[in-house]
Amino acid sequence: MHFAGVDVGSTTTKAAVMDEGLVVVGKSLLATGANVVRAAKTAFEQALQEAGLEEHDVVYVVGTGYGRYKVPFGHAQVTEISCHAKGALRVFPGSRTILDIGGQDTKAIRVSPSGEIIDFSMNDKCAAGTGRFLEACAGVMGLTLEEIGPVSLTSAAPLRITNVCTVFVEQEIMSHISRGRKAQDILRGVHSAIAARSLALMRRVGIEPEVTFTGGVSRNPGMVAALEERLGSKVNVSPLSQYLGCIGAAMFALERAQGAAPPRPLVGELHIVGGH
Amino acid sequence: MAPPARYEDAGKNLQRQMMAREYDALAHAKENRTPVAYLFISGNIQELFRSFGFLVAYPEINALQCGIKKAAGPLILQAEDKGYSSDVCGYVKNDIGLVMQSNKSPMGNLPRPDLLVCNFSGCNTYIKWFEALSEFYDVPLVMLDVPYVRDGLVPKEDMEYTVSQLNDVIATCEKVTGRAFDKQGLSDILALSAKAEDKWCQVLETATRVPSPIDSFFEAVFFMAGINIFRGTQECVDYYDAVLAEIGERVERGLGPVEEERFRVVMEGPPPWPHFRAFWELFKRWGVVCTAATYPKVGGLFDTGLRHDPSRPVESLATYAMNCYTNWSLDKRAKLMEDYVRHFRADALVIHSVKSCRSFSVGQGDFRDLFVRGLNIPTLLVESDLADPRYFQEAQLRNRIDAFFEALDHRKLVAAGGAR
Repeated sequence: MHFAGVDVGSTTTKAAVMDEGLVVVGKSLLATGANVVRAAKTAFEQALQEAGLEEHDVVYVVGTGYGRYKVPFGHAQVTEISCHAKGALRVFPGSRTILDIGGQDTKAIRVSPSGEIIDFSMNDKCAAGTGRFLEACAGVMGLTLEEIGPVSLTSAAPLRITNVCTVFVEQEIMSHISRGRKAQDILRGVHSAIAARSLALMRRVGIEPEVTFTGGVSRNPGMVAALEERLGSKVNVSPLSQYLGCIGAAMFALERAQGAAPPRPLVGELHIVGGH
Repeated sequence: MAPPARYEDAGKNLQRQMMAREYDALAHAKENRTPVAYLFISGNIQELFRSFGFLVAYPEINALQCGIKKAAGPLILQAEDKGYSSDVCGYVKNDIGLVMQSNKSPMGNLPRPDLLVCNFSGCNTYIKWFEALSEFYDVPLVMLDVPYVRDGLVPKEDMEYTVSQLNDVIATCEKVTGRAFDKQGLSDILALSAKAEDKWCQVLETATRVPSPIDSFFEAVFFMAGINIFRGTQECVDYYDAVLAEIGERVERGLGPVEEERFRVVMEGPPPWPHFRAFWELFKRWGVVCTAATYPKVGGLFDTGLRHDPSRPVESLATYAMNCYTNWSLDKRAKLMEDYVRHFRADALVIHSVKSCRSFSVGQGDFRDLFVRGLNIPTLLVESDLADPRYFQEAQLRNRIDAFFEALDHRKLVAAGGAR
């Protein structure tokens, strides 16, 4: 028997297929694009393909992420906050504080030793400090998103980036470039600014070790280093970081299919979330 | 077959009728030669103006009504075109937008005021709002400087200071209307206020029942109209009799605001009027009932024992003016919410922070910390606005609300030994 989780994020869509022993047997990641339903379907199909399974082999699917209500084959929807916490605890059971930085969202989650979510906090109405912010910075410097992290790590004299607005930071970077500042110093400053902002969000929920860093931005080594520097301690990062949301969703699928935490139907009219 | 409901929606329907009558009376104020005073809700001393024969209008209520009738957006933009910043309170900009179109609102036309009374000084923006109206209409503005209630009781000096200002207001009213102050008349009005206040508290108290027959936020914001706008009238007393009859019927029939009450919460902050239904649905889906709320206490903290007292009319108006929710210190507000959680057996605190109102949003981050860390009461803080439709992001709100109740559901399951 198999279970699946599909995480439809603002930037990327991820899917994971899991067996009864909580082993991930197939996964996928692709750009969400404009057609959210298609992205969810394709991600699920690709994960099935990697697992060598057919759709009917999967008995329960949980959708998560902003597009969770756009997973037409999903049996239930769970927010990415619950899913990321669950996925992070699966990989790092000692996690007490989880920082997730995605394409447009940053969230800090504090969990109890038994895995309950005690508190969470998210960025509001502003993409500063998210993947989009880094993308804007990479763009103005003529680098790819993959390049900026490693480049930032070579800096010996980081600059201070004061702007926290995704739009206006471009102007600040341009002014540094025009003054002949080094790319690595600018980028180290950018990463450090995001780390400071993330730390403020984490403080809102209370920082307790171990800290686990998840989401697409956790794949950036410059961001991991900046965060560790600000925190003064190591953070957990997994090569599966980007998949922890869909892994958590697959775990919820397993639980619900087995009736451990029976899904309670939501009552009342449902407003469908627009295509994110 | 069950007998038909006799009182269903009496609270909402009657409220609508009373509001319509009030707007109609205001629309005819000039031809009836009735003087009109503009007041704010928080700490409004409407009984005093009633005793002088004034009709009282509330630009705040007008703005609220524009919000709920989805007329606020273009009015706010009009004020911004005039130069009002995006950071200025949405109620103010809504009203400025209305003034620029001769006060024609979806509810009718508000008449020109004869007197402006800024009766709440806890909000600097409100002072500026009435200063602007005073200039626009060229009518006298009376400023009541109401001292903030800090930690304990109201000091004697604060009381004397407020009473002396009320005596000045009385003198102004005498001048504007040409009528002498009728102390007995005021006392008679205040006796009716106290009666309605008793009944309003009985309404609120019904939410201690499990399940609760009312939502003390999403429904109380309609039920509060009586206590905020119609105090001192028999109509107001009768209104609460009707609301109580409706609630009694609900209890008898086992009806409540949601099909199955799964979570009980205390709500802090005003509602997002332009998206009121959508906001309520986000909670209803989870079987959430608000069993207590702070916003319906802006017009007076009667549930703490506060009452208008006909035997000491002016002093009692002063005491009332000071004891409105947003005129209390943050410590007192926090203690009140903690008491609400315990008394109304709530599972959590939900804070709806609005960009427009600093009187509310100041300190809400601290409340969140205090409740989560100090009191171990699960707390959710979400943000939008009370008047400006642009600040309501449904996807983000849904995500936070869903995540919060998912976690709360899980906690309940764990507590019941039902989840791994």
